[in-house]
Amino acid sequence: MLADPSAPVDPSADGALAPRPSRFDFEAIGTHWQIETPHSQPLGPATRAAVLERVEAFDRDYSRFRPDSLVTALARGAAEVDFPADAEPLFELYDRLHAATEGAVDPLVGARLEQLGYDAEYTLRASPAGEPSVPDARDRPTWPTTVTRTSASPRSGVSVSAPAGTVIDLGAAGKGYLVDLVASVLRDAGHTEYVVDGSGDLAHSGSTPVRVGLEHPLDPSKAIGVAEFAGLSLCASASNRRAWGGGLHHIVDPRTGSPAREVIATWVIASSTALADGLATALFFTGAHQLAKTFHFSYVRMYADGRAERSRDFPGELFA
Amino acid sequence: MMTTRQKKIGLSALAGVSLSVALAGCATDATAESGSGSADTDSTPAASAAATPSSTAAADDSTGSSTYQDGTYEATGSYTSPNGQEEIDVSLTLAGDVITAVTVTPEATNPNSVNYQTQFADGISEVVVGKDVDEIDVSRVAGSSLTSGGFNEAVETIKSDAA
Repeated sequence: MLADPSAPVDPSADGALAPRPSRFDFEAIGTHWQIETPHSQPLGPATRAAVLERVEAFDRDYSRFRPDSLVTALARGAAEVDFPADAEPLFELYDRLHAATEGAVDPLVGARLEQLGYDAEYTLRASPAGEPSVPDARDRPTWPTTVTRTSASPRSGVSVSAPAGTVIDLGAAGKGYLVDLVASVLRDAGHTEYVVDGSGDLAHSGSTPVRVGLEHPLDPSKAIGVAEFAGLSLCASASNRRAWGGGLHHIVDPRTGSPAREVIATWVIASSTALADGLATALFFTGAHQLAKTFHFSYVRMYADGRAERSRDFPGELFA
Repeated sequence: MMTTRQKKIGLSALAGVSLSVALAGCATDATAESGSGSADTDSTPAASAAATPSSTAAADDSTGSSTYQDGTYEATGSYTSPNGQEEIDVSLTLAGDVITAVTVTPEATNPNSVNYQTQFADGISEVVVGKDVDEIDVSRVAGSSLTSGGFNEAVETIKSDAA
């Protein structure tokens, strides 16, 4: 989401207005994206095409909402599905997130999300089986115990097998990972200064810092603070926008089957967008100290009572 | 008057995120008067936040609008903490979409809750206030990402069904 595009641009050193940056807007994985590069370095047509191709391939492979995706093939009972080479880093990140959160971040939450109504048809009504209950841990499929991966080599694809009906949902880190993949396309085309903004999950490259407002989770016209950084990624997660009835929303703890309470928004800055995205979800369930044993990041976390907590090294300010 | 904004958070949280608000007792009253002074007390919660049928207090007469009927709402919420199932009772008094009174029983008694009252040795926790995005000189905003068209349409459908 963008601030007012008519806002003044930064004056350059000699006091003249800097020329407006070049922007490329597109829709991908159900939301709005924008790539910003310096005025003098617009994306060429070939680069734009490569970006669009990249996001389409990702969506086609990993979307739980597409009947033709690899994820859907697995859910429908394919014994083994071959994922492309870009899958392994993402799956490995989930391995680490799953371990660090003691199972709170788990792609297999997908089946539960569908039960609760967050399915390909956007039913948004919990099925009878969706009544909140604490599943028996012994019966519950988990990412490390249920999904088997084999890979011929780190550079090849990865074969995934899982019982029929296993729904993999990559919502926790998938969009951040796609931001990283798009950034790779830009770097391959020679770009070193850019912002890839996938609706608020963004990667920055270059020496000029970017200032990003931390959107108030209950009022999108307001911000609770601002982050300013360069050469890093920022991701946000909030439980309000994709909420539906009866206290249900899309950030679900697979260990209890219930949507997360208490924490209502998180922001994470990290070296990769995939990591920042995954940690933004993890912070709904897991203490920052616990996560800091495994990952390096800075963060802001806001609670339902209006308090926000930030790590001392968070590059920005909160409005108190 | 800064507490108004903060209490509004409690209200919307009740609407969308069920009832784990105020376990730390911060929303109970002017415990956390912050000195910012930007008294933007007349803004209403975003429709997106309030659009969900609210918690048990008002679930039966949810109209999907972003305003609430004046009155006192009572609700019991339960949540699973690392120490097991916990329950709280919340009573809210609303007037003109502003929470004028909140009672939460019991108040937080569980210092071990992983996600609550995490007082880090190296962290800072404070009550925050919203400033208008167009007043803070940012080029971008990061918040609740990814609201797809299909999702938004479905929410609209539910709201009209509930009306």
